[in-house]
Amino acid sequence: MIGVKQRCGIAARLALVSLVAMVLAAAAQAQTVLIKNAKIVTLTDQGTLASADLLVRDGRIEQIADNLGDLNADLIIDGYGKVITPGLIAPSSELGLTEIGAAASTNDGAVLDSAIGAGFDPSVAYNPRSTLIPFNRAGGLTRAVVVPSSEEKIFAGQGFAIKLTGEFDSIIDTGLVQKVYFGEYGAQLAGGSRARAYEQIEGALQQAVEYNRNRDAIRKGAWRELEFSIADLEALQPLIEGEQSLLVSANRASDLLQMLALAKKYNLKLIIQGAAEGWMVADQLAAARVPVVIDALGNSPDAFEKLGARLDNAALMQKAGVLVAISGPGYAGSHNSYLSRQGAGNAVAYGLPFEEGVRAISANVATIFGLEGGVLAPGSRADLVLWSGDPLEVTSFAEMVLIDGKPQSLVTRSTRLRDRYLHPQAGTGHGYKLK
Amino acid sequence: MRFTLNSNIAARHLSTVVCGALLVTALVSCGGGKAEKHEGPDFSRQGAFPSSYKADEAAPVLIRGATLLTGTGEQMVNADILLKDGKIAAIGEGLKAPKKGMVVEGAGKWVTPGIIDVHSHLGNYPAPSIESSQDGNEMTAPNTAQVWAEHSVWTQDPQFALALAGGVTTLQILPGSANLFGGRGVTLKNVPGRSVQDMKFPGAPYGLKMACGENPKRVYGGKGTLPSTRMGNVAGYRQAWIDAAAYRDKWDDYEKNGGEEPERDLQLETLAGVLNGEILVHNHCYRGEEMAIMMDVAKEFGFQITAFHHAVEAYKVADLLAENNVCAAVWADWWGFKHEAFDMTEANLAIIDQAKACGMIHSDSEIGIQHLNEETAKAMVAGQRAGFAIEPRHAVAWMTLNPAKALGIDDVTGSLEKGKMADLVVWSRNPFSVYAKAEKVFIDGNLMYDRSNPERQPHSDFELGIMDAEGVRLSGSDVETQGGAQ
Repeated sequence: MIGVKQRCGIAARLALVSLVAMVLAAAAQAQTVLIKNAKIVTLTDQGTLASADLLVRDGRIEQIADNLGDLNADLIIDGYGKVITPGLIAPSSELGLTEIGAAASTNDGAVLDSAIGAGFDPSVAYNPRSTLIPFNRAGGLTRAVVVPSSEEKIFAGQGFAIKLTGEFDSIIDTGLVQKVYFGEYGAQLAGGSRARAYEQIEGALQQAVEYNRNRDAIRKGAWRELEFSIADLEALQPLIEGEQSLLVSANRASDLLQMLALAKKYNLKLIIQGAAEGWMVADQLAAARVPVVIDALGNSPDAFEKLGARLDNAALMQKAGVLVAISGPGYAGSHNSYLSRQGAGNAVAYGLPFEEGVRAISANVATIFGLEGGVLAPGSRADLVLWSGDPLEVTSFAEMVLIDGKPQSLVTRSTRLRDRYLHPQAGTGHGYKLK
Repeated sequence: MRFTLNSNIAARHLSTVVCGALLVTALVSCGGGKAEKHEGPDFSRQGAFPSSYKADEAAPVLIRGATLLTGTGEQMVNADILLKDGKIAAIGEGLKAPKKGMVVEGAGKWVTPGIIDVHSHLGNYPAPSIESSQDGNEMTAPNTAQVWAEHSVWTQDPQFALALAGGVTTLQILPGSANLFGGRGVTLKNVPGRSVQDMKFPGAPYGLKMACGENPKRVYGGKGTLPSTRMGNVAGYRQAWIDAAAYRDKWDDYEKNGGEEPERDLQLETLAGVLNGEILVHNHCYRGEEMAIMMDVAKEFGFQITAFHHAVEAYKVADLLAENNVCAAVWADWWGFKHEAFDMTEANLAIIDQAKACGMIHSDSEIGIQHLNEETAKAMVAGQRAGFAIEPRHAVAWMTLNPAKALGIDDVTGSLEKGKMADLVVWSRNPFSVYAKAEKVFIDGNLMYDRSNPERQPHSDFELGIMDAEGVRLSGSDVETQGGAQ
């Protein structure tokens, strides 16, 4: 039934192929990249420029202006009809810690251990050559926060940040956040009640303070026995010093309020992950200046703690003044972290202003986790994406991705398999088709 | 084609293979063939839990001056569509407004057939997800062909209404995939019901859920029983079909020659219904190799596989699917959660389509089911980027007419054609956009969902007084802003 006429598709594809080839050929030498006549979503005071030029030099953005004239550059791209945004940043992922979800040997994101777990730092397990890196990069993701998980303890350990170059030195920061579970899952891990989970978090904080004040005595064994290992208590020090954020999973409105109270009591830098009912306590979140990381597509009341889940959660919280970051949809996991873009698009469809949608998957993530990037400003790191159209639209795609000013390959296993089997047929030929 | 069974079977099988979608009592099959009353023993037991769905009497509706994606390959601009007596009465230009009834101004709006999801677990894995409501998979034996998904459906699952707001008018609820034979699926109209019978799509054939690959061997291998390997899986299927064929022959013989009535066996009855062509096979199967094996198993025992589900590697064998008239239901871009989902390409659906096989999008998710238009859009663009000229007017079939075919209901729904059920969606704009919203959803000509009218937005019993004793979950509190779509 579905007769297909080969028309504009081929031309469009050839144009794209040539752009990518040109970009990659020039990539090795490109010290300067000039993109002309693109719509530029800067997320700075410069706002969104309808048609402007952007110059990158030595890994940083040098200039953004309506018309930079006939500048010389190693690579010049015509951005007419296209849109530039900051590179997307995943606020919560297991990128580089997982290859195949259901293959234990390929997973490094969680440990079974009797200690509290706060000391767990999975950054040494990071694999920059994971297939998830190029795939998510081709989706426009340039940086990501990588966070461990836990199936045993409410404290999961420490998160770190990466850039998606796939290079061996692509971890950019470690010890970024401490991950902990509250709400239904936290209650389950803690032994059956939120109250017990709360007690465990507070107990750990108290003992971390006790350790801080009596470090020498405790290390010499001249102190009462504490419940947690030295490693865990050391790991909690940046938290109580306010140098590290506590990333807490919680969804129910009352759970969020409990976490706000705890954060106030211990002067913690708190980030709420989940916040399905955040809209119900948006004013309190805003007043406490506590940011949230949400799954903007997660509108099913699929748990009793998420009865208030809704598609306009992001819009309502943003309107109340909460700093909102949007993660990839929960059902798709780390493999599709870049789909935060689709989440943001839906949040915009349900009331979030467009620029705030872009901000929620870039600038806000950088702000919340203290990373560089997330905006397009002279002097800032040149992590950016040239999109075929509206960056939040499901029919748009990344045509060029720069990390530190360098054009990245957009080839993935998905495109390699596509090209091998574009016209599947009998025979042995596919086995030799490597391009 | 190998006919290894008796000639009676062969003749019966021929009709199913020629046709693809199976012959079903009271339903026209594919290609506009005539409905044929099935002869012989009643294995499908359509009458056991009969549909009690009855559409309300619907006043005529004229949708005027919209862009129509018909599902049959056409995009019609500035067209009118008239719904009358629950059916599509006319499509064209300048249709007269009915004297009584509703007129929907369609300027700027797009109309598609209602979205059909061939793979859902709503009602069987309902929200909220708690231990006592995990009714979607009878994980107690590798063959549970005797169970019927409809017996697990909690019609008060609040997720049905969410799917409706996403434009879904029909959905198949399938058992889970832990078993070689998971049991029967059921096709529902997405309407409120006090019983599952109130939702059952009248006349829709039953589906049998089968599963390849990792799940059955992991679940049962872990219990020390067959299967623990993929070859164990296949041995399990073949033995079951041998038993089913013997069961069918026993009943055929009884029908023909009389004698003592054979004893009924629920498990074999369902499998015999497949061999008879009354029940459609919906086969969870990721890998190309396994699809090829399953199509040969079907030939060995003389039945037809209607569709492979989650067919992440369908693109590798798309030519074989076309040859064997087997559909493939896929996601747009999910991958990597297990090894058999590792070789994902976003062009999967487009490649299936280009090979002239019947491809479709599916959700298997309470979130994905609300966004099947977006998922279809992503698959369409992946096809365009692969160099195929796929446009909305044919991609729309991936979420409408093709799933209707896979459910054996394409003669009555799935496209905008005169005489079909008036199951359709009025979209705020081109539905292949993240900003598109289903504004009005009609089922059998009745306005079942209206985004602008809270009184035409269904809420299940569960949602009454749940967050606020005097309220309805989230009702009336929506922020209906336009957003800042570019």
